[in-house]
Amino acid sequence: MSTLIPPPAAPQPPGWRMVRLLGTVSLICGILIVGTNLATSARIRHNQEIIMRDSVAELLPGIQKQIIYGVQASGDLKILPGLEEGGQRLFAGYDGSGRLIGIVIESNARGYADLISAMYSYSPEKQAITGFKVVDMRETPGLGDRVRSDPDFLKNFDDLDVRIVDGKPVNPVKVVKHGSKKNVWEIDAISGATISSRAVGKLIGTSVQDVLPVVRKNLERIERGE
Amino acid sequence: MSTAATTVIEVRTAPHLHSGRSVDQIMRHVVYALLPMCFYSVWLFGISAAALIATTTAACVLIEHWSCRLAGRETSIGDFSVVITGMLLGLTLPPGLPLWMAVVGAFIAVAPGKMTFGGLGFNVFNPALVGRAFLQAAFPAAITTYTPAMALNRFSQFIPTSLATPFLKAAPLKDWIAQVRVDGFTGATPLMLQKFEHVTTDPWTLFIGTRAGSSGETSALLILLGGGYLIARKMMDWRIPAAMLLGALLTGGAYYLSNPVKYPSPLFVLFSGGLMLGALFMATDPVASPVTPRGMWIYGLLMGLITVLIRFEGGLPEGVMYAILLGNALSPLIDRLTQPRTYGEGKRMFAKEATTR
Amino acid sequence: MSDQVSCHTTGAPEITAEGSPFLNGLWKQNPVFVMVLGMCPTLAITNSVRNAVSMGLATTFVMVVSYGLISMIRKLIPKQVRIATYIAILAMAVTVVDFLVKAVSIPIYLALGAYIPLIVSNCLTLERAEAYAGKQPVVKSMLDGLGMGFGFTLALTMLGAVREVLGAGTFLGVHVFSKNFEPWVLFLLPPGGFISLAMWLLFFAAWRERSAKRATERVEAQTGMAGAVEARA
Repeated sequence: MSTLIPPPAAPQPPGWRMVRLLGTVSLICGILIVGTNLATSARIRHNQEIIMRDSVAELLPGIQKQIIYGVQASGDLKILPGLEEGGQRLFAGYDGSGRLIGIVIESNARGYADLISAMYSYSPEKQAITGFKVVDMRETPGLGDRVRSDPDFLKNFDDLDVRIVDGKPVNPVKVVKHGSKKNVWEIDAISGATISSRAVGKLIGTSVQDVLPVVRKNLERIERGE
Repeated sequence: MSTAATTVIEVRTAPHLHSGRSVDQIMRHVVYALLPMCFYSVWLFGISAAALIATTTAACVLIEHWSCRLAGRETSIGDFSVVITGMLLGLTLPPGLPLWMAVVGAFIAVAPGKMTFGGLGFNVFNPALVGRAFLQAAFPAAITTYTPAMALNRFSQFIPTSLATPFLKAAPLKDWIAQVRVDGFTGATPLMLQKFEHVTTDPWTLFIGTRAGSSGETSALLILLGGGYLIARKMMDWRIPAAMLLGALLTGGAYYLSNPVKYPSPLFVLFSGGLMLGALFMATDPVASPVTPRGMWIYGLLMGLITVLIRFEGGLPEGVMYAILLGNALSPLIDRLTQPRTYGEGKRMFAKEATTR
Repeated sequence: MSDQVSCHTTGAPEITAEGSPFLNGLWKQNPVFVMVLGMCPTLAITNSVRNAVSMGLATTFVMVVSYGLISMIRKLIPKQVRIATYIAILAMAVTVVDFLVKAVSIPIYLALGAYIPLIVSNCLTLERAEAYAGKQPVVKSMLDGLGMGFGFTLALTMLGAVREVLGAGTFLGVHVFSKNFEPWVLFLLPPGGFISLAMWLLFFAAWRERSAKRATERVEAQTGMAGAVEARA
């Protein structure tokens, strides 16, 4: 096969032909993409809302109605019409009679492998965290990923004291060694998954420090649901 | 052809005398050097440790025999190297490890770790450590479950996890540990205590070895005696262990000087974990380590450094295993870079050759 | 092991005009086990059967749609800009799949993550466009895409099955062993992908070698007999 004669060169097509072809192909592709986007966007939004609603309902049993608030840079709240991406969101849940049951707050922190993003529910009445749910993470299967499923670990968040006085938490959330939890504001770490447990502690701790004061400040407004 | 070869007079260069030492003789002496550690481990952890070491050794030998038959070769178990692999694997595992996992580790150590490369002399990594690394990645919880030394009834009953049904989770050890309660045992090795709870164990305890840990790594004294015997009989090069321990000592010392409150003393670094066992019996694997004296020093110092870096900076309490595997991977490169200059050849030529690689 | 792999990669992708293009991709020139192409999703996404099947089907969709389009306009594409054209069409198909997966199920979308956009740079998709769809008629090209896609899906599922069964003790989320199964965590992590792929490749290599040996033995037996007959004569 290795001949020394070079193969006859294909005639160079004119430049405008190549531009025209690529242009046409891109145009058709563009139309197809936009078409699919339009056709699927309603369905995608619907899926996302279902997932969010299910997660919130799991954390706030008995919820009938929810209002989504966005936290503004100024520290004020704004009602969001839907699931806008970005920014700190609060999901206020109300029962059938319109009474506020609790508020679900999103937060994240760097775990052992990657960002852990999670939600927790806050009860303004008890001034405590009443539930915790991991939304997405990449922790080591069998060790770190127990922060999602370990029943003993999740029990920490059934009633985790996060009282706020003067815009500051009274007892900052603290992660302690497995089996040495003494106070209601401490999180009992999973043995063998200390790093992931600490990440969860940080995730809640920073959020409690930054977001809960805003919630307390606007609590009456949230209770009225406006 | 063959008749011509036999009629040629054999002419060889010096040395004409040799000690008559063959591979299997050296290997047999390594086995003798490992035996005290095995016995001590049985004394500390009881019949579970005995069963563990026996299982890994028997499994390794059988798998090598079976691999040889599968490959249509004469069996190579007679050279004793696979016995060492099996014993070392057993000595690096926690004494209460389920025996079925030990068999899995033995399979990985010998079949992919040694035989797929072509058997003794061709393996890139220390086979025992390949097996242990697999177990560490596959069963991270079981391989970090340690049991107390000198437990009650250790000669009459197994650690319950040892006899776990294959493929099933072992029952938690809480009740058993409470039953054989050894003062203040929390299920952690000295390294874990130091890393996660900032409790430093006294170096003398570490040196003698009455502590929790992998079955054979506990007693620095016996490891030094075994290694010393091999070095004295010139069956092992002293440079690699010396360099590795020195590397760990220097790195640990630097950390200690920078913050004596946070970091343990260099003596603790030296005698804790599997550093001693690794430096004397794993890093010195003649197949997977460099052969030039300069290369041995680089190799050892590097492994000591990495061990301490993993311990102090990484997420794991112990780093000897990964340090040695990394050293094994680098040793062909180290060998190439430290080739001695051939007599009469210019120095510049070597330097040029080295840089063009 | 490494010998085996390299010998596949050098020996494989010939353009076979004869034979069904569908069966060719499905088994004889299986993209993963024979050609060893598209390793990125093969290793990264196969930690469960569900992920493996979803990824395989997404790739199949991309290949069928884009090979149809490419083959349709193959005579219009100047040689100099063919790669750019293929990439534009593939990227379109991938973006469409991205939307579709999101519309079907968000959890699957989250599990596949960055690997859906990466289908466009999967060497398998571009290689078949260059080697087959750019030269063959529409129906054959689409069949080739379908065969290669299903072959890819099959291989991913086989890997996913090993990894899910050993790594989690489940198959499609259903427990295969007792609930008390001790998971081999390694198989859910990226190294588990390499190890399972190596096991499958070893299995196929051993199988091929055995059948080749049997074939030569048969031939030898026949010629041996022929030789004996001759000698007697």
